[in-house]
Amino acid sequence: MASVLVAAVALMAAGSSVAVWRRWFGAGVALQTAGAAVLCAAGFWMLASGTTIGNTFAAAFEPRFGVDGLSAFFLATVGAVAAPAFLYAGRYLDDSARGRTVAVLSGAFVLVLVEVLCARDPLTFLTGWELMTLLPAAMILVAHPEDASRRTVFLYVAATHLAGAGTWIAVLLLAHAGALGGTPVAQGSALQVAIAIAALVGMGTKAGAMPFHSWLPRAHPIAPAPVSALMSGVMIKIAVYGLIRVLVDWLGVLPLWIGVVVLALGALSAVAGVVYAIFQHELKRLLAFHSIENVGIILLGLGACLVLRARGADTWAAFALAAALLHTLNHALFKSLLFLGAGSFERATGALDLDRLGGLLRRMPWTGGAFLLGAAAIAGLPPLNGFASEWLTLQALLHVPAYGGLGDGVAGALALAALAATAALAVFCFVKVVGLVLLGPPRRTAVAEAHEVDVPMRAAVVALAAGCVLLGLVPGLLFHELVALAPWPVTENASLGLKLPGTGSLPTLGIALSLGLISVALAALRGRRSTAPAPTWACGQQVEPALAWSSAGFSKPLRLVLEGVLRPEREISVRARGGVVQEVSYRGRVPHLLDERLFVPAVDASLRAAHHARRLQTGRLGTYVAYLIALVLVLLAAVKAGVIG
Amino acid sequence: MNIVSVLVQLVGGLLLAPLLPGLVQHWKARLQGRRGPSPVQPYRELRRLWGKSVVSVDGAGFVYRTAPAVAAAALATAVLLVPVSADAPGLGVGRDAFALFGLLALARFVAAAACWDVANGFALMGASRDLMVAVSVEGPFVLAIAVAALISGTTSLDGMIAGTAGGGVWSSPALGLAAVAFALVVIAETGRQPVDNPDTHLELTMIHEGPLLEYAGRDLAMLQWVGAARHWLVLVLAAQVFLPHPHPVWQQLALLPVVLVVLCAALAIAETLVAKMRILLVPRLLAVGAAAALLGIVSWLVQL
Repeated sequence: MASVLVAAVALMAAGSSVAVWRRWFGAGVALQTAGAAVLCAAGFWMLASGTTIGNTFAAAFEPRFGVDGLSAFFLATVGAVAAPAFLYAGRYLDDSARGRTVAVLSGAFVLVLVEVLCARDPLTFLTGWELMTLLPAAMILVAHPEDASRRTVFLYVAATHLAGAGTWIAVLLLAHAGALGGTPVAQGSALQVAIAIAALVGMGTKAGAMPFHSWLPRAHPIAPAPVSALMSGVMIKIAVYGLIRVLVDWLGVLPLWIGVVVLALGALSAVAGVVYAIFQHELKRLLAFHSIENVGIILLGLGACLVLRARGADTWAAFALAAALLHTLNHALFKSLLFLGAGSFERATGALDLDRLGGLLRRMPWTGGAFLLGAAAIAGLPPLNGFASEWLTLQALLHVPAYGGLGDGVAGALALAALAATAALAVFCFVKVVGLVLLGPPRRTAVAEAHEVDVPMRAAVVALAAGCVLLGLVPGLLFHELVALAPWPVTENASLGLKLPGTGSLPTLGIALSLGLISVALAALRGRRSTAPAPTWACGQQVEPALAWSSAGFSKPLRLVLEGVLRPEREISVRARGGVVQEVSYRGRVPHLLDERLFVPAVDASLRAAHHARRLQTGRLGTYVAYLIALVLVLLAAVKAGVIG
Repeated sequence: MNIVSVLVQLVGGLLLAPLLPGLVQHWKARLQGRRGPSPVQPYRELRRLWGKSVVSVDGAGFVYRTAPAVAAAALATAVLLVPVSADAPGLGVGRDAFALFGLLALARFVAAAACWDVANGFALMGASRDLMVAVSVEGPFVLAIAVAALISGTTSLDGMIAGTAGGGVWSSPALGLAAVAFALVVIAETGRQPVDNPDTHLELTMIHEGPLLEYAGRDLAMLQWVGAARHWLVLVLAAQVFLPHPHPVWQQLALLPVVLVVLCAALAIAETLVAKMRILLVPRLLAVGAAAALLGIVSWLVQL
């Protein structure tokens, strides 16, 4: 099996290298795609057969590589997203120098992700972790060298590096304590708690969990579509991998309250992520906020796992972990599908302002149809994959109060309500997206003249949509393997649907069949006899483009209800002359409070601090000599006083 | 007994469901001193609509055409999923309470998407309000179900009917508090006052009826059946889980029609007594329900 993995990596590396030359660009991208597909297949095969290869974890200083079940699952996820993304990039990026550079860098990026997943020593892991942050920054800068995106990239790199220190602290402390070699950290010790908190801050930032998320909705939308798909689809999942490694695998049983903290982070990310997504009026930015929401759902599963593990409910803890993992793969599939679809719409129409699209399902049936499926999947609708993993997460959260005491029980119940509300809000949001992008009349000339994109770009989104349908129909096949990934023994019977003890079970195939057969039968009964087309009912008014319902209009009831929390800003100015209104202008905005009250002041303060710190660096030799002498004097004084030495 | 259960479930859910809104309308009219429509009026309307041709709207496409069929299929699957007694064999779609949320959401999603397809501003106004109410319902709904599931130790609906049967469970306030929450869920899901006014035919005030605005003929018939089936689902859950019911299955089955009729009468009385509330206050009302159900969970946790 190791040889197949090496072959996959070699294919991607070779593809990325030859894509440098213009005449080899197509072949290079094809090699990349093939490599990623092999990686996906090998990952799933290793997961199913339970093979582990290579080294185990150790706090060594030489590079060590190995793959176990958890790594194999994430390798499969990376492959499943990277293959369509490469296929798509082959047409989306042109073969200009800039396009070729992005293609090469995205190949390198995927290789770095593979490195993080296969790393079995702290240094390899951390090197990959840092490169994973830097490569997307490089890709964004190559694609958009303007000042605005430079500033965004700077914020992204600064935020993920500063908070990312948590990752270093966690991994180095673990290595120091010997937990990588298999010696468990003492349960409930200060060290265990410190590592867990450091990992939550460091890896939580990388995952885009609230309140550490501010970089995500800035960086993801400006990247080229295949890069956005890779960032949202897999990069933030690698952070989830890190969290699972640290919290579930290496730290053993954690104190109960850490699990409750993870539940709280998950609930905050899920609800706030989707609420702010609803008030975005640009498609890619909206999708970026949905990544925060889905990371929240994954964290809810992980939090339930930690709480249940602390309570000794091992079977349900494993189910909760499997729910989080299944949602990780599901989100990787539908989010990369939606980002690639958005890229196609942008290519076909020129812009992604939600109020200025419309009617694309008819003009781009393949991309539009796949996008519709992806939207239904992310909204958690049966019979697609999002429904299966959200159902599992709901079940896991219900078992938190079932096994818990008062405090964690109430936390579990609140998380349950938060997840249910998140699902309903996601339906709200994606009805809006589907309606504004795919349905209704086109709202711009460029949209009206849009054409379907090239075949490889279509094939990429259709393949991802097929994955969403397949995982929706038979999630049980994978779920069984994922339960076995828990580092404690659990017995669970394999089935195609989801058949768990203490539930009414979810026979996904049965539900899909029932929905499909009844819909087809009713559609046939309905017949096709209908009246001549008439305009839509507008209470007798002429239907005009100005009457078209907008993104802000559709979300208005929710904005009014949440006014106390969201503090929307609005400005209405009326210009009247002689008592006759000449012009009314309206401007409304839902500010992102966490961002404006926490993140922006922090950024400004650190920039100011950096400005002051710069005065120390005068560039004059004399000053530096003075610094040195001062340092020596301070050290000598310290030795004299007995503080050091 | 389980053959009878399945028969009651299928005949009741698929065929008798329109009788429930019919009864409510009938009694409401009586309470208001009108003669009002007969209880079988919904059937007459369905027959009339079934005989008419559907309309097609300028620019509407695939989503508009298939939405009624998909919404009806989602509700029909939900009817297959919700049993009427503690002893009912599964019908191939499972028995799980949480699966119900997905099916109801699917019906709502396609109905609202169809409004975008015809680009009807009034239908969209109704749809966005409907979805806003759905967001607020979800909290009390899931928490009420969670109370019943915790009490009976399963989220399987037949297990929940068995687990909440008899008088023993009523010695703690948990199920009672969940019942308060579920009462609000029933009102919101069925689109009754004070959440929505089913009698309004003014476009600006519609909530549940808004998304139906552009439909006619068989499409409208299917969507009206969807509304009736929603009555059936939540009222059966109210009767068999959140209200006192006996242990023996035959008694559960025998009492069900009586309780459903009583619940319809209660809805009619509530509609007569209460005026429709401002839509922006609806989430607060439902938040009260969520708080009650949460208290129910707390009381269940405390007595452990």
